[in-house]
Amino acid sequence: MPSYALNINFERKEVIADSDTPLLWVLRDVLELTGTKYGCGQGLCGACTVLHNGNPIRSCSLTVESATKGEITTIEGISENSDHPIQMAWMEMDVPQCGYCQSGQIMSTYSLLSKNTNPSDEDINTALSGNICRCGTYGRVKKAVKLASNKMNK
Amino acid sequence: MKNTLGRRNFIKLTASASGALVIGVHFQSCVTGKTPAKNFEFLPLVTIDTEGEVTLIAKNPEIGQGVKTSLPMILAEELGADWKKVKVIQGDFNEKYDEQWAGGSYAVILNWDLMRTAGAQVRFALITVASQKLKLPAAELISKNGSVVHQASGKSIPFGDLVKEAAQIPLPDEIEFKPSDSYTIVGQPIPQVDLDKMVSGKMEYGIDIKRPGMVYATVRKNPVFDGGISEFDSTVAKAMEGVIEVLELDNKKYGGRLIGPNSPNFVNGVAVIANSTWAAFKGAEKLKVVWNNTESRKENTDEIFDRFHAQLSNTSIEREDGNFALAKREAASTLEKVYEVPFLAHATMEPMNCTVDFGDEVCEVWAPTQNPEALQEGLIKLFDLKPEQIKIHLPRAGGAFGRRYYVDYAMDAAILSKEMGKPVKLTWTREEDTKHDWYRPGSVQKLTATLDKDGMVTGWQHILANASRKTSLGREGRPAGTEIDEYEFPAGFVPNLQFEYGHVLSDVPLGQWRAVAPGANAFPIQSFLDEMAFKNNMDPIDYFLKFIGPARMVPVVGEYEFDNARFIQVIEKVRKNSDWDTSLPEGQGRGFAARKMSGSFIAEVVTVDVLENNKVNILKVDVVVDCGIVVNPSGAKAQVEGAILEGFCAALYGEITFKDGATEQSNFHNYRWMRMNETPEIHIEFIKNDLPPRGLGEPPLPPAIPALTNAIFAATGKRIRKLPIVSNFDT
Ligand code: FES
Ligand code: FES
Repeated sequence: MPSYALNINFERKEVIADSDTPLLWVLRDVLELTGTKYGCGQGLCGACTVLHNGNPIRSCSLTVESATKGEITTIEGISENSDHPIQMAWMEMDVPQCGYCQSGQIMSTYSLLSKNTNPSDEDINTALSGNICRCGTYGRVKKAVKLASNKMNK
Repeated sequence: MKNTLGRRNFIKLTASASGALVIGVHFQSCVTGKTPAKNFEFLPLVTIDTEGEVTLIAKNPEIGQGVKTSLPMILAEELGADWKKVKVIQGDFNEKYDEQWAGGSYAVILNWDLMRTAGAQVRFALITVASQKLKLPAAELISKNGSVVHQASGKSIPFGDLVKEAAQIPLPDEIEFKPSDSYTIVGQPIPQVDLDKMVSGKMEYGIDIKRPGMVYATVRKNPVFDGGISEFDSTVAKAMEGVIEVLELDNKKYGGRLIGPNSPNFVNGVAVIANSTWAAFKGAEKLKVVWNNTESRKENTDEIFDRFHAQLSNTSIEREDGNFALAKREAASTLEKVYEVPFLAHATMEPMNCTVDFGDEVCEVWAPTQNPEALQEGLIKLFDLKPEQIKIHLPRAGGAFGRRYYVDYAMDAAILSKEMGKPVKLTWTREEDTKHDWYRPGSVQKLTATLDKDGMVTGWQHILANASRKTSLGREGRPAGTEIDEYEFPAGFVPNLQFEYGHVLSDVPLGQWRAVAPGANAFPIQSFLDEMAFKNNMDPIDYFLKFIGPARMVPVVGEYEFDNARFIQVIEKVRKNSDWDTSLPEGQGRGFAARKMSGSFIAEVVTVDVLENNKVNILKVDVVVDCGIVVNPSGAKAQVEGAILEGFCAALYGEITFKDGATEQSNFHNYRWMRMNETPEIHIEFIKNDLPPRGLGEPPLPPAIPALTNAIFAATGKRIRKLPIVSNFDT
């Protein structure tokens, strides 16, 4: 199997994998970054969202080969101690229920707020409607996005 | 309030080697209220160490319903702990914990007295030690924020300095619980345990488990229910890079189709074992299997529903009050309507998975499950194990909703680990998860009401026909239970009432789905009452209030009475909160529904805007809840929000269909869930009282569905009698 050099959370990682292996499974099974979740494997649910050069992508639908070009950021890479303003906002709003979709929700938010410091309801809907939450935390996610943007603008 | 005393015989205090106080509980006796038998065993539930750190074991599985936070809060409250110094860890399965399953919104109901008893008895011991040390009367001392305090003098001793002696204190036979108006933890919106892990990807779910030497597996199951395998060719799969083995999962080798009630066997299929999940997934794509479907009924949805319709006239009577036939003969008018509800899948966000290390001595299991009891039972029956050879860990589950009440996926994993002689993590694909669910049964429901000259109900007949979830896989004979319970609403409210059930055999695997029977039956019942109101030109809430009559205790069945005063209160409040009596712009409408479930009373008003293209836009929901004491308002609101949205998803889109005996849906593109842009504002009010807390995970779901369809009627004049809503509009 070929070996690939990935740039993940500002660290260079060498991995050996089949070229068509989705980044998701390299993260989870090889690099043990299990914060990125498997939900559908078809780009339909957003549970596997990570950032590729700052843009939210579905890691189940990006091959390891394509992931070599550019920087990958996963949920594990946004802070050392769960203290990024987005994470703080999430905790303040007590957002998660089962929590399984939340890494994906947070990564979509991370990308949104890096481009738009003051998103409207519309903007938030557009950025996050690709992330399914089976438990129905959408209302709190939306409030947490706004709270996070306030925190980051301070 | 009843049950204000916590009894000693459930609790035992001991000191650990390090001087910590260990609080053991005897669970069965506490739940049943009986004195424990001799030689019973106390299981540690809480430890308080010499630093005053309180460590609590959460015994029920955490599936997103918040028990890992709410149950410890109850204990910490009675104890007078400092919540910041409370640590909660997930307990493994232990049959002595008793009632360790999660479901039916029961966790708080079942554990309310137990948690309070443990807290109150320990508080007594700590106060007794403090009273000796301070030379002050115990009656003047209270426990607060992790210390015993003498309020008059301001003297206090932290718990950590009291624990060593506390283990020696004889406990009182009975102790009074704190009055609810003195609560400082219960009733506070406390952020849940494990939040930091969930927002940083550090929470370990079942699917994240990794064991030394572990291999990865996935399955390809026969898509046709109750089918088997004729032959399979694994040459291509086995030749693939990373694939280690291909194994057949044949349930005939393990005692046939069924293990026991609520402990289902697994579906026949083929498993691929590999050195990574992806290699297993890819290998499974390459399997060539010839399925044997000779025993299958090869059902189609239309044909199943035809049989349900036909069965409406071939029923058994499940409840009979007064004389419905006579009421019908004497009625001024009658109303008769037929409603259809579809089959539904659970689609938990985390697909089914399980890790098993089947060693020579011990079978160790990491299972995201709601039902460790059934898992243990399944392993015992499949492999002839003794309970002490089974160790079950309960990682957090990424949603459950009733799906993880069944343990088929865990049986798969156990067989594979045993055959491989290695730890195996089995992950089902989303497609397998959707196609091999234990579906919420669809049903056809016919309601007939007899009305007097004022349009009020004198007789009520509810006939429900379907395949019951209480049978298993089309087994012959009468089901263990029906889908219409004898306490179904409006039993007790109408003098001439008849419930009938028509049972149809089907191969479709059926199971519990959040809010079970009420989730399916509230839609016909509450739509029907709405139809009656319109037939009589009456406001739906006015009509409903007249229908349920004055505040009183309504006898329903046996000891069970329905407190109509609490019901009326939530209805009147929701009417006010939703501005029910004001007018709305053209195209908008409000719908109402109310229901009692798991001891809680719920009333909901949904406001919709139906756009020209028939797109239903849910604008807002007003909900009033009386669930007794609200243990954790933040978690409680989350449950209400989640249950209502789940009701809306089901109402708008939810439908599983079958073709030639197999499920047609496979993933989120054809089994749709609501998205953020479709989510309405939800305004929740909890009634304040000091009645014992009741269930909340399910009760808000059933009324959400008819409140929505009634709102669509108010907005458009279109009556929805068949779910999902989308099937009524050609969009
Ligand atoms: S797992 Fe990638 S979008 Fe669902
Ligand atoms: S919190 Fe459970 S899926 Fe979103």
